Amino acid sequence: MNTDTTEQDGTIESDGADDVPSRITEQFENIKRTRRRRAIGWTGLFAFLAFATLQAFAATELLDPDARLGTFRDSLTGFFPLTDYFGVLPFLDVGRYLEFIIQENLLYDPEIGGLLFQIPPNPVDVYVFFFQELGIFQIFGEAGITLAMGFVGTVIGFPFALVFGTLGSERVTPFPFNFIFRGTMSFIRAIPAIIWTLIFIPFLGLGPSSAAIAIAFDTIGNLGRLFVDELEEIEDGPIEAMRTTGASKPQIVFFGMLSQVRTAFIAWTLYIFEINVRIGVTVGVIGAGGLGYVLTSQQNLLRFTNMMATLLAIFLLIISVELFSQRLRSRLRSDDVEMSIWELITGFPNRMAESMLK
Amino acid sequence: MTYIDVDGLTKRFGDTVALDDVSFEVPEGEFVIVLGVSGSGKSTLLRTLSGLLSPTEGSITIAGEPMVDPRPGVAMIFQQHNIIGDMTAYSNSLSGGVHRSGFLSSVLQLQDDDEKHRALDALDTVGLLDEAEQKARSMSGGQQQRVGIARALVQQPEVLLADEPVASLDPGSAQSVMGYLRSASEDRGLTTFCSLHQVNIARKFGHRFIGLRDGKKVFDGYRDELTIDVIDDLYGDIDTEGMFVSDDGDVDADAAVDGVAQS
Repeated sequence: MNTDTTEQDGTIESDGADDVPSRITEQFENIKRTRRRRAIGWTGLFAFLAFATLQAFAATELLDPDARLGTFRDSLTGFFPLTDYFGVLPFLDVGRYLEFIIQENLLYDPEIGGLLFQIPPNPVDVYVFFFQELGIFQIFGEAGITLAMGFVGTVIGFPFALVFGTLGSERVTPFPFNFIFRGTMSFIRAIPAIIWTLIFIPFLGLGPSSAAIAIAFDTIGNLGRLFVDELEEIEDGPIEAMRTTGASKPQIVFFGMLSQVRTAFIAWTLYIFEINVRIGVTVGVIGAGGLGYVLTSQQNLLRFTNMMATLLAIFLLIISVELFSQRLRSRLRSDDVEMSIWELITGFPNRMAESMLK
Repeated sequence: MTYIDVDGLTKRFGDTVALDDVSFEVPEGEFVIVLGVSGSGKSTLLRTLSGLLSPTEGSITIAGEPMVDPRPGVAMIFQQHNIIGDMTAYSNSLSGGVHRSGFLSSVLQLQDDDEKHRALDALDTVGLLDEAEQKARSMSGGQQQRVGIARALVQQPEVLLADEPVASLDPGSAQSVMGYLRSASEDRGLTTFCSLHQVNIARKFGHRFIGLRDGKKVFDGYRDELTIDVIDDLYGDIDTEGMFVSDDGDVDADAAVDGVAQS
């Protein structure tokens, strides 16, 4: 290819050397001018960006930072404690992480779990576990509290998001009025969940309950917005079809519109659930409980090893939720025949092995 | 007795005239086929008849009542089926009758047994009783269109409008869908309007034909009047040779229906 073009270029040049038509030179000059103008434009843009960045550095005190490398190095040895394995091999002391995770029930609460896991199983205790201690979240200790905050937030937020999202769509509510609902959702979104928690503390006190309600509020804003966007994409056909059946307005909305986006709505809700668990960690930091609270209290005590152990627990929680939700979403979105839950569980090792061999 | 009365119907979209002073009368129970090339105004005519569009001028009266908004008595079948892919054939069929029940009972499918039997009966009419629990999305184009017909039947209409119901189907499915459409309308005594652009299918299934060209009615007559010259006029310069299949069809129509129902 390359040689071909150079050859061609060569012939054109030798041909046109005697008399280059003026329109060609004109166009050539034109192109040259545009390129020069563009180069100046880009240089100006870069200069401006550099200037603005400098100002921003000044505003964030990064120009004259109060850097303490020594302290940071000390904290790093706290974050990543070393120990000598077999007396000679220095390596990360994983044992200290595990010790803290177990001691503070970050991932598993033995008191509640003990009811369930007994040999032989005790039916009375199993009953107590499910119906008196209501333990299916609490068995996961602090991680369970964070997970439950995200879960409750999603469950309470969903119906409101559905109503606000549907009524915010221009096809359901005529133009100026749908902005009542869109505006409400924008307002909710403008305030981060962590601030909503602060607002609910006088109402429910500093703890997981205000965090869960705050997350529910946040869900209305974010999930509702996703619903509105999704409803913009639907086809007119089924709506028209429902109109010709003589259905009432709510029936047209449900059968003509919502049934088109059911799968998408479930998928978005799972996605927001993922995010809500993450928010559960951040609102915990201001004292609402769960892993976030453990993290911030260990930071206050300058126990960096314990902080790192909590971070590991957070990592595990988020990754599991994400894996679960993504698998479920891709299953929903694909057109394959749906697997039953039983197949989903029993077939897991097999599918896992298959995908690892690929 | 005149059942559908269209008088001086004109529909304009901005400067475009889609229908230009179209008038006709249709007695009860006729199977009318609307012919014409793309853009001749077939869809606009049917959509105006269904009440989805309102006429710029002129009037439509169906069963003595002016047609201003969509109503249950006038059912419509669409080229793109417009059924709901995420629901089963049965739920789609049932959704044709929601105008008879309240919001909650239709959403939760708590209609009475009569209503549910009606939905299954309609599926039986289009030969899909065994596929009732299949997701509509997983069905073939022809089957989806038959679900569309079932939904229209559950509506219990007096008039059935079909806007190019077989335009996106292969010839075999097209024949079978048209067969189901005609037998359903005959069995239930429905006045039917069906727009088509395949002349051979039109001749095979229609009683009466209305031809449109550039929004004007250029032909209105029964089968023996639909000559090759009329077709030539309707389709203008297009080579119509071969589109005009000789009339040995009606026996085949039923045979085709049976054949597809078994497969």
